[in-house]
Amino acid sequence: MREVAFGQYYPADSFAHKLDPRTKILFLICYIIGVFITKNFYGLAVCTLLFALAVLLSKVPLRTLVKSVKAVLFLLVFTAVLNLFFRKDGEVIFNWAFITVTKEGVYSTIFLGARLFLLVLSSSLLTLTTTPVSLTDGIESLLSPLKKIKFPVHELALVMSIALRFIPILTDETARIMNAQKSRGADFESGSLIKKVKAVIPVLIPLLVSSFRRADELGDAMDARCYSGSAVRTKYKKLTYSKRDLLAMIAVTLFLVGVILLKIYFPAVF
Amino acid sequence: MEAIKFEKVYFSYEKPLDDPFLESAPSRDAFSLDGIDFSINEGEFVAVLGHNGSGKSTLARLVNGLLTPESGKITVFGMENTEENLFEIRKNVGIVFQNPDNQMVASIVEDDVAFGPENIGIEREEIGRRIGFALSAVGMEKYRLSMPNRLSGGQKQRIAIAGALALKPRVLILDESTAMLDPRGRKEVMDVVLRLNKQEKMTVLLITHFPEEAVLADRAIVLSKGKIVLQGKPQDVLCDEEKIEKYGLRLPKATRICRELTRRGISMPDCLNEKEFAKNFVQKLNDGGTCAVNDEFDEKTLEKEKIGAGIVCKNLKFTYNPSSPFETHALENVDLEIPSGSFFGIIGHTGSGKSTFVQHLNGLIKLPTAEKKYKEKKNSPKVDTVLTVGEFDLTKKDTNFNALRKKVGMVFQYPEQQLFAETVFDDVAFGLKNFLPEISAEETENLVRQALETVGLDYERIKGVSPFELSGGQKRRVAIAGVIVTKPEILVLDEPAAGLDPVGKEEIMRLLHSLHSSWCKTVVVVSHDMDEIAENCDRVAVFGGGRVVAKGITQEFFSLEKVAEEAGLDLPFTAKASKELSLLGVNVSSDLTARGFVRSLVEFVKRNSRGWQNA
Repeated sequence: MREVAFGQYYPADSFAHKLDPRTKILFLICYIIGVFITKNFYGLAVCTLLFALAVLLSKVPLRTLVKSVKAVLFLLVFTAVLNLFFRKDGEVIFNWAFITVTKEGVYSTIFLGARLFLLVLSSSLLTLTTTPVSLTDGIESLLSPLKKIKFPVHELALVMSIALRFIPILTDETARIMNAQKSRGADFESGSLIKKVKAVIPVLIPLLVSSFRRADELGDAMDARCYSGSAVRTKYKKLTYSKRDLLAMIAVTLFLVGVILLKIYFPAVF
Repeated sequence: MEAIKFEKVYFSYEKPLDDPFLESAPSRDAFSLDGIDFSINEGEFVAVLGHNGSGKSTLARLVNGLLTPESGKITVFGMENTEENLFEIRKNVGIVFQNPDNQMVASIVEDDVAFGPENIGIEREEIGRRIGFALSAVGMEKYRLSMPNRLSGGQKQRIAIAGALALKPRVLILDESTAMLDPRGRKEVMDVVLRLNKQEKMTVLLITHFPEEAVLADRAIVLSKGKIVLQGKPQDVLCDEEKIEKYGLRLPKATRICRELTRRGISMPDCLNEKEFAKNFVQKLNDGGTCAVNDEFDEKTLEKEKIGAGIVCKNLKFTYNPSSPFETHALENVDLEIPSGSFFGIIGHTGSGKSTFVQHLNGLIKLPTAEKKYKEKKNSPKVDTVLTVGEFDLTKKDTNFNALRKKVGMVFQYPEQQLFAETVFDDVAFGLKNFLPEISAEETENLVRQALETVGLDYERIKGVSPFELSGGQKRRVAIAGVIVTKPEILVLDEPAAGLDPVGKEEIMRLLHSLHSSWCKTVVVVSHDMDEIAENCDRVAVFGGGRVVAKGITQEFFSLEKVAEEAGLDLPFTAKASKELSLLGVNVSSDLTARGFVRSLVEFVKRNSRGWQNA
């Protein structure tokens, strides 16, 4: 059986792994707000410092962390460079043909790049330290106040949970169907884009057919176990906060306050 | 008290409209029930048998209200199955379905077991207790926090049973719950079911087409075309050869061998397991008085011309997700030769590496040295892996993998799930278009016709039909036709008979033999069914823990008991029976086929009969 490293969870026994998923989600939200408030280098240093601390407490090796964002790195650099060339106001430091680079441009590019980089890295740290299952539980719990306005929180959580359950199964199935069609001479790698899209059809149709069959059977199995989605439904899993969570929330609050103070008392660089 | 009672129950699915082909094919219509009357007492263990499409799964779904009968009355513990009683009935009737993957909602075992109790609003603490109780009832306490994806099929089905038990049902229905499992998983599940029935007095309704499982029940019911056609003690029902064959079932293997011996003059009473068999046989010998035995066996050892290198594999290793936390060594040092012209069996339980191995044979998994990216470094360790298939050397990256795939046809597990085209013709022709784009339309038609006729389908009638409208068995044949259409020299099949009923299994194996004699030179069958391999293959390799733990010619393969145990496999009946016989002092040497076994016994009796008679 092939193991799917879905959601790139990195199993380890660390402070960050043991945090309640709700804490981690709230922490991330606060952190992202903080990163976006920051407009000067002191702030940026504080942001980076907090992130470094979080990485240390997560026991996730730096290599794994960087590898997890490799896919978006190109996009990041591309956005930053675009920003560099299109910012035309301020003191010009370089001018050639239609390309103009200004001092403000350089600063804002550094900030934009650093921000995006921290944003992607910190989100990735969340998924590296939290299993998809507990992430789902966290989201459900955080959204539960919305039940009052008839938002289908429970249904949403169930859909997420079933999706998580079936991702590895369907991944395996896709691999099997692809192997079967490859054995019949299908070629998924070479040829034009149109040819490649066409080559996917013999995989997509069986996959769809089987997904419907699975959905049908799962529906029966849920019915047989008395599922009705009614109000009597109870919940077995209960998330509980611990001292660790309090510590983390204090840290991120201090961070937010600090970043705001730095913004007020020190000038913005751009 | 009656746990379940059916009175004149009729049910039918909607008939598909205006399709002349489907009228003659076993369509969905075949799953209907035609006036069923029966009842199950509390604490009873009832097995329902029937060929595919006999209506046995419909029966299960009617009991807990997943389906509603057209007419007739169904009562469960005195409750009629009306809309108001639906929940109360479902609480009392737990059901476990066929596919272990399609009945779990959560990614953690305990969350999945909790699903039922959560649905009916049980308190948190009580749910916790019920999870503990349900998991210990199926012997899976250790896996409370595991992920279902990492469990074996048998373990998943035990979790599914636990999920049902958490609702504290009084009836447990198993709807072909073991059909997709390997022998080890099947035994795990049956052990749990038997214990629940015997110790907890759970009422059990077991739907199956394995006679070996039905034997364990108190009562057996045979369904055919929506009607109950046989009912009674499992021994009586299962050994009624004439009737059981008529209704598309087969005798248990032990009984079949008894009958064959009786036909040959050694009258043996019917029996269902190897212990009884050995006892009866020795008894027979002691009684003496053996009459004329028929020892004429038609010699049909078809020695195929064995030329060409076939498949040679040495020191093959393979690791999934190397240097990651999910690293798994699927293959460690596989040494194996598959001679050209053989009907080769590869046997091993799930996870033994057999599937990974066969995927190497047509380059679906390439050796690192055959990857495009591979560059030979000066001080890289010497590669000692050998893997050749005929003239192809799979360790080299300049190998023409497309030509290799044309030579090695591969039929995957449940091949019907790969069908995709609008018509059967297009689907079968898919491989031809890929491998031989230059051939003419007539040639294509000719080859597709040949392939479909070889797998036993009527070309003219089926070519324009959508593959999705066919019955399960027909779909599988179409899928096999889609592989053999390019006339591969080597045909590899992964569990070709999985999920079929006994008759379907026999038909598929017969088909493979006819392919072997006329169409593909070498046939490699991957299976976890020892009896299937013993009956059909001339050579065998046993996989276990990513290695070949034993290999040889099936006829010589008698000492595989230890190996089979090591690899977690069940022995074929013939091997189990001769082991029991040797414990009683009767030593017969025979191969593993039923035919060879009967022959050895007949010869043994012939040699010893006078001696026995005199004594």
